[in-house]
Amino acid sequence: MSAADPAAPVRPGALTRFLHRHEGWRGHLLLAPALLLMAAAILFPLGMTLAMSTWSLAGYDIDRTPGLGNYAAMVENPMFGALILRTLTIALTSTLFTVILVYPVAYYVAFHVTRHKALWLILLTLPFWTSYLLRVFSWRVVLGQEGVINSALMGLGLIDSPLSFLLYSQTAVTIVLAHSWAAFAILPIYVSLEKINRSWLEAAADLGDGPVRRFWRITFPLSLPGVVAAFILMFVPTMGEYITPLMVGGPDSMMVGNLVQAMFGPMNNWPAGAALAVVMMVTIALAGLVFLLLNRLVQR
Amino acid sequence: MDVVDQIHALRAGKLSRRAFTRSLFALGIVPVMVPLLPRPARSAPEDHATWFTWGGFDIPDFFQEYVARRGEVPNFATFGSAEEAFNRLRSGFVADLAHPCITDVPRWASTGLFQPIDVSRLSNWPDVIPELWNVDYNLSEGRPWLVPFTWGQTSIAYRTDLYDLEGAEESWDMLWNTRYSGQLGMLAGGGDAWWCAAIKAGVPFDQIHTDDAFARISAVLREQRPLIRMYTDDTTSSDTALAAGEIVATMAWNSSVVSLTAQGVPVKFAKPREGALTYVCGLMLHAQAPRIDSAYDVLDSLISVSAADFNMRAYGYGGVNRKAFDQFTDEELAALGLARNPMDVLQAGHFGIPQTPEWDQRMTSTWEQIKLGF
Repeated sequence: MSAADPAAPVRPGALTRFLHRHEGWRGHLLLAPALLLMAAAILFPLGMTLAMSTWSLAGYDIDRTPGLGNYAAMVENPMFGALILRTLTIALTSTLFTVILVYPVAYYVAFHVTRHKALWLILLTLPFWTSYLLRVFSWRVVLGQEGVINSALMGLGLIDSPLSFLLYSQTAVTIVLAHSWAAFAILPIYVSLEKINRSWLEAAADLGDGPVRRFWRITFPLSLPGVVAAFILMFVPTMGEYITPLMVGGPDSMMVGNLVQAMFGPMNNWPAGAALAVVMMVTIALAGLVFLLLNRLVQR
Repeated sequence: MDVVDQIHALRAGKLSRRAFTRSLFALGIVPVMVPLLPRPARSAPEDHATWFTWGGFDIPDFFQEYVARRGEVPNFATFGSAEEAFNRLRSGFVADLAHPCITDVPRWASTGLFQPIDVSRLSNWPDVIPELWNVDYNLSEGRPWLVPFTWGQTSIAYRTDLYDLEGAEESWDMLWNTRYSGQLGMLAGGGDAWWCAAIKAGVPFDQIHTDDAFARISAVLREQRPLIRMYTDDTTSSDTALAAGEIVATMAWNSSVVSLTAQGVPVKFAKPREGALTYVCGLMLHAQAPRIDSAYDVLDSLISVSAADFNMRAYGYGGVNRKAFDQFTDEELAALGLARNPMDVLQAGHFGIPQTPEWDQRMTSTWEQIKLGF
């Protein structure tokens, strides 16, 4: 075959041929831009954080000799353990509340709403249409001493003096977090409920299961992946919360995020802040693993 | 495609993915094009200097002279506490002008991030009260590092109807009164809280660097913590809490009392018998200030008569331009907690003393831990 032969088919370029032959590489090439961005925007900062967490502070400067001093200080100082425990408690409580509260809503939309489903879903995410800061701020108006709840209760004569635990407390932080992240919890639960094959429910009914048994034996186990996804989706960001405790929390509801901010801000101890951030990442990863294991166990 | 048609198609489930993408694209075009629409010609923000200041000073009222000269207000960036600002500047944030207090000057100047100010470029400089800037540590070969802008006191703002003094004198003990546990507030920045606690603990300021002082000040702050409802540097938060009765007394600056009084809330700025914490704050010029001419105009505007007048009337902070005091009677000044001669107020209280970076580091990390409860 010579190049001058006019009848010869146009040969595709080397890359095209290569991609035609190796299906796997087609996928990788498509992924490449996203992967590059991930590497630049996630892995590099992560590496920086890890490296910085081994440095130490010398006056206003940073001593770059690696060491585990920051981690040792965290073990010695009871503040860190207590703060991490408090953060875990707040994040778990608010996540648990939210998931329990939104499950019935998701159930209703999945099973009982037949028309305008999209409209329902949009309405459920409505709180997200205002700025997060504004939402937190408006909770102050609701929970304050002269706020909606306290004035209503006082007006009804149920209490004599305003309930002060409502604002600037852990209660406030939990309530606000539960409200703010509700939409994140609803959507995965809704999707997993929506996917459930209705004929299984009919079959169960035909075989004599009542509505309650039907729910616990079919609907609930099949919706668990959605529940776990909702749990993780909400638990992870709430663990890193900073602005909510700052705005509606009191001195006893500050979370790890606030200490990390203080370390990178006024305390100006970036290495210690980086070490704390690393410890938080490990904590969250461990907690996530526990959720996944629980999910496996329940589904068996 | 008509919008109504599209909605019908969507409802009928007949809208193709391609058509949908196309309309989304059309929707996306609009916000992208908006900045290109014609708008009134004005100078771009990059023509003006940036002033890095405490929240609340970022308003046009201080810039009558600047606007007259350059047509617009400068750019602002705000912070809640001086430590926060310092660390942001040190990590590479360049603002032409920053707003620390005069006792911070040696520490801030030692970083090499600032340049002494050429006061011959400031037309209002001859009217600035010299006592406010003429201290050794503020001078570099005769030029000041910091041009003063405000002075005043950190003291206690309290609700006269909700806080009962029971015949006692006003004092720092008010913020340690267990009777009002859970109804007291504190400023979150160590630059105020630590020094006021030193006054309460009876530590003389020239001893504040000793280990003994650290122990005594930490002890009073730890003792106080269970009584505190909020630590904040955000005056909006503490003002609303004070107005709502959420807190009945809090560590505060002059402006809280002035603005709450204007709203009809019965508050008073205490004159603690131990003396208040007094301060002079002002502006430092960045060594690499990118818009230095504009920055000098900002400086000149901030030390003008109109800025000083507004500062005193609206915020209750002392102005630095001597001529502005002619527009006030002695009674008016006294009601604001000010005086015709700033030294009368500043020396009656406790004026801070510059400290080393190591001291500052130790103080802030101790204070942050105390706030968290440890």
